[in-house]
Amino acid sequence: MREGPPKVEAEVIDVIKVRRVAREAQQRKSVRSDRVATIAVWSIAATGIGVLTFIVGVILWRGLATALTPGFIFGQPQAFKAGGGIWPMVVSSFYLAFLTLLIVLPVGVGAGIYMGEYSKQGWAARSIRFGADSLSTVPSLVFGIVGLSLLAVYLRLSYCLLAGAIVLALLNLPTIMRTTEESLKAVPQTYREASMGLGASKWYTIRKVVMPTAVPGITTGAVLTLGRVIGESAAVVYLVGMYVSRVPLSPLSPGAPMAANIYHLYNEAALLPDAARVASGESAFLLLVVLALMLLARLVSWFFKRKTRVADRFA
Amino acid sequence: MLRSKTAVKPDGPAKVIDREWIVKKVLFVLAMMTVLGILLIVLMVTKESIPALTKAGPFNLFSSRWDPSTGHYGMLIFLVGTLLTTIGGLILGVPLAIGTAIFVTQMAPPRAAGFVSRGIEVLAGIPSIVIGWLGFTVLVPVLVKLTSSTGNGILAASIILAIMIMPTITAIASDALESVPVEYKQGSFGLGATRWQTIWHVMLPAARPGLIVAVILGMGRAIGETMAVALVIGPATAWPKSLWTPTHTLTTKILMEIQESTGTTRSALFTMALVLLLFSMMMIMLVRAFTKKKEYARGAA
Repeated sequence: MREGPPKVEAEVIDVIKVRRVAREAQQRKSVRSDRVATIAVWSIAATGIGVLTFIVGVILWRGLATALTPGFIFGQPQAFKAGGGIWPMVVSSFYLAFLTLLIVLPVGVGAGIYMGEYSKQGWAARSIRFGADSLSTVPSLVFGIVGLSLLAVYLRLSYCLLAGAIVLALLNLPTIMRTTEESLKAVPQTYREASMGLGASKWYTIRKVVMPTAVPGITTGAVLTLGRVIGESAAVVYLVGMYVSRVPLSPLSPGAPMAANIYHLYNEAALLPDAARVASGESAFLLLVVLALMLLARLVSWFFKRKTRVADRFA
Repeated sequence: MLRSKTAVKPDGPAKVIDREWIVKKVLFVLAMMTVLGILLIVLMVTKESIPALTKAGPFNLFSSRWDPSTGHYGMLIFLVGTLLTTIGGLILGVPLAIGTAIFVTQMAPPRAAGFVSRGIEVLAGIPSIVIGWLGFTVLVPVLVKLTSSTGNGILAASIILAIMIMPTITAIASDALESVPVEYKQGSFGLGATRWQTIWHVMLPAARPGLIVAVILGMGRAIGETMAVALVIGPATAWPKSLWTPTHTLTTKILMEIQESTGTTRSALFTMALVLLLFSMMMIMLVRAFTKKKEYARGAA
């Protein structure tokens, strides 16, 4: 009988020991799995950056030498023989982007002001938000073919920069609207209260107090949109055109944005002996333009941020 | 009411309030452009696809035989092509994207996180035609060597799509992970969990709605992507017999045939666009369902 309790105690001690051993093993296991997972996640991120570096590197390596030749950027394109340039395409891209911004900025900023300053939670706001969400989910190709059947067939605006600009404006409307709305939301409510407390009307307050504070955000959004428009191809190939030999002057003349021209070169590789060289050079130049615009967007927001920080110090 | 009351008075304030009213209406009209735009797109696509729907009929349109010269307008091959490339892109892209999002938000030292997320932004900015051209000139030749085929097809398109959807998914997944309350993490660490246990058992489940939204939006991009896929998919109007035989997706078929086609063929292509539109609407509904649930969960917490 006496030997009972110690035995039980020993068992208890054993259980405690076993539990401790098990817990330590568990801990070792979790530490090990933590280490494995850390290595895995780091290598995934490294893969991502590796893919990016590879892509940018290969595009530039294959095309930079061509792209940075003045005779290539400012040269006349050739349809059937080697040695052509891309000047009309460069002009088309920037012309198209400029026209698009001309249309989308007033509409998008106005829409953003409405959503940020005026709209109440109701059916109108809900449907506008739904419309914007839908527009940003619909594939750009669908914009392109709707533009083709609407503008080209019904309005006889076939193959011109304006048709492309209208469609691209619609494509980028949600982005501009959202950036505007978000920039407006970031403006402190006290600014509005102070202005309206001094007797200013709502529109006056928005124009003179709210908008100036929101301009950096909107500018950044506009520059990013510029980059997106210049890179867009599926929506414009059949609206603006893919190849022109002369620089487009009027918004109603056909153009050939660089992105669309690369697709043209892919299709017509048999006709042009150095199609691959031109397409690689154009890709590299297009990439440089887009990267420069992204950098510009960052610089714009950085510049304004510094300016407001200085202003805050004096306030 | 305010307007009618003040408009009676012929002096200053009436004018001011009148202008306010006009401004508000003008801005409202500008905002309604989004609704008008999407209605226009849906109406045009529907209207243009009516001839095919009435003349050929849904059975013909969803069959697997595309041969307009004999009156066959089946889009099944292209639909399957779209689904396979999208699934392939998700299989390759989602682990990469979510892993990167975990890295950026949970593991990386601040400077590395900034570097990686800026790099991903750059990746998002590369035009799709440029990525397509790269796929055509670099990826396809590699696949030709590896598989001794033409190199074009589902696999090439999936790899390209994975690269293209990765930035979208990473950005939204990072936002989702960052919006998990910091107390969750603190609680988990306080109970002695390791970092990975915290990520796996606490952060990822807490961010799940956002992660699902990220994947859905990536899927939307993959379904709608045209140019990059067009340069590496084939093209061929045939069933993909393997991952490296030329085929077509909905978008590439529309892109390559819309200009030369007329009549019922053209209308059939618009029916494909209608299918793409339906996909888009489905995505929006799914995203809304998940974001609503997330808001609800936060409101309850």
